[in-house]
Amino acid sequence: MMRKECDKLIDYFNDQLSEEEKVEFENHLETCADCKEELEELETLTDDLPFASEPVTPPEDMKDRVLGEVFSQQSPAASTRDDDASSEEDQKFSNNDELDKGKVLFPSETKAKVEKTRPWLLRGLAAALVLSIAGNIFALVDEQEQTAPEPEEPEQPDVETGTDQVRSRVQLQSEGTEANATAALIQQEKGDILTLQAEQLAQLQGEEVYQVWLIEGEKPYRAGTFVANQNGEGAVSYSLNDLPEGTNWDAVAISKEPDATSQTPQGEVILSSEL
Amino acid sequence: MSNRDIELYRRVVEGDKKALESIYDQYEKLLYSFVIKLSGDQALAEEALQEVFIKIWTQKAHFDESKGKFSSWIVTITRYTAIDLIRKHKKQEVTLEDETDLPEDEAESTEDLVEWKERGSEIRQAVKKLSEEQKQMVDLFYFKGLSQSEIASHTELPLGTIKGRIRLALKHLKKHLSTQKGGVHDA
Repeated sequence: MMRKECDKLIDYFNDQLSEEEKVEFENHLETCADCKEELEELETLTDDLPFASEPVTPPEDMKDRVLGEVFSQQSPAASTRDDDASSEEDQKFSNNDELDKGKVLFPSETKAKVEKTRPWLLRGLAAALVLSIAGNIFALVDEQEQTAPEPEEPEQPDVETGTDQVRSRVQLQSEGTEANATAALIQQEKGDILTLQAEQLAQLQGEEVYQVWLIEGEKPYRAGTFVANQNGEGAVSYSLNDLPEGTNWDAVAISKEPDATSQTPQGEVILSSEL
Repeated sequence: MSNRDIELYRRVVEGDKKALESIYDQYEKLLYSFVIKLSGDQALAEEALQEVFIKIWTQKAHFDESKGKFSSWIVTITRYTAIDLIRKHKKQEVTLEDETDLPEDEAESTEDLVEWKERGSEIRQAVKKLSEEQKQMVDLFYFKGLSQSEIASHTELPLGTIKGRIRLALKHLKKHLSTQKGGVHDA
């Protein structure tokens, strides 16, 4: 019986025991001086081995990806933590930081990001990464184009705690132009956001802008302003916190406006969809 | 150094993101390189690091100060995590001597890195002095993380002798390392 436990040392060291066996072995360690000594010896003898690795420089953007994912997880200490203390840090690694401010992003940049993450997806990366960006526009692009294979079942269900949720996603229909766009209303803890991405847009002149509207009944509300890049692509993310809460939006539309100040659509609506 | 680690770790337990970031900065390269050594796979290395830091942040893995150094602990968790991922991905084997065709670090020459490279070359030198069987033992046991019975079937050696052979190989390695200390090593 004793013999049997002592034989598990190697498998214990290599984390090859079941939870039950592990507990048993740890109990055994308390009473078996030999095993305890051998385990310490293994630890000492292998201490140097990680340094046998050739130094390899990690990709520059790895830190942001990894910590972004890590901090999307709840720390057990979070509930007792003072919120003020970490607001800056929260911002830095919040997945939706970029999208919260109505900042304009261009799909050309977006594409590059998607491209980069693809090898991961192909590998059937833990759904973690996919989920981490579920609330942001990159993921929408990906899903939209059906370019990425279905990720495997998450290997670690506890990472699946992203709180962002797409409430609705629509294709905007063009009214007489080539342009097309996708919009999504995303529910977040900090409030809902609207993301929208358009392509094949006509070039703008002078101070002209594309204005996004959310429409309730007859009433349009401003919901983000953007310009097209040279490829005719444009995107916007808009926090709905400034709009009347609990509104049931009927439609989303994009119009071309003479400048960025229009409070109601002045120019023609080029794309729209019911929500 | 390790006092600083412990201080940082305590702050992480209290939910301090900045402290975790500091730990990350300090260990990123070593852990990343280590997982590449174990797996030969950069994507897997990133995945492993992510899991390791999630485990630390969510305290699924808990460091016990009374049980040794923080650096050994984080390396150990990384090793377990990587080995587990490698199993799941059913990666092909990379042996101890295999040099992977990865962009090896050239640019930097921080003190830490110099020390690491020196130590690394010492270890490789010491490994070279082992017999083939001993090399294989170190590789299968430590770098592959195989179970005792897997090592037995791999090497066609009796199960009951595996533990002794591993210990012997490691002791030889350590001995070569200590006699080498202060000696000449490859540039």
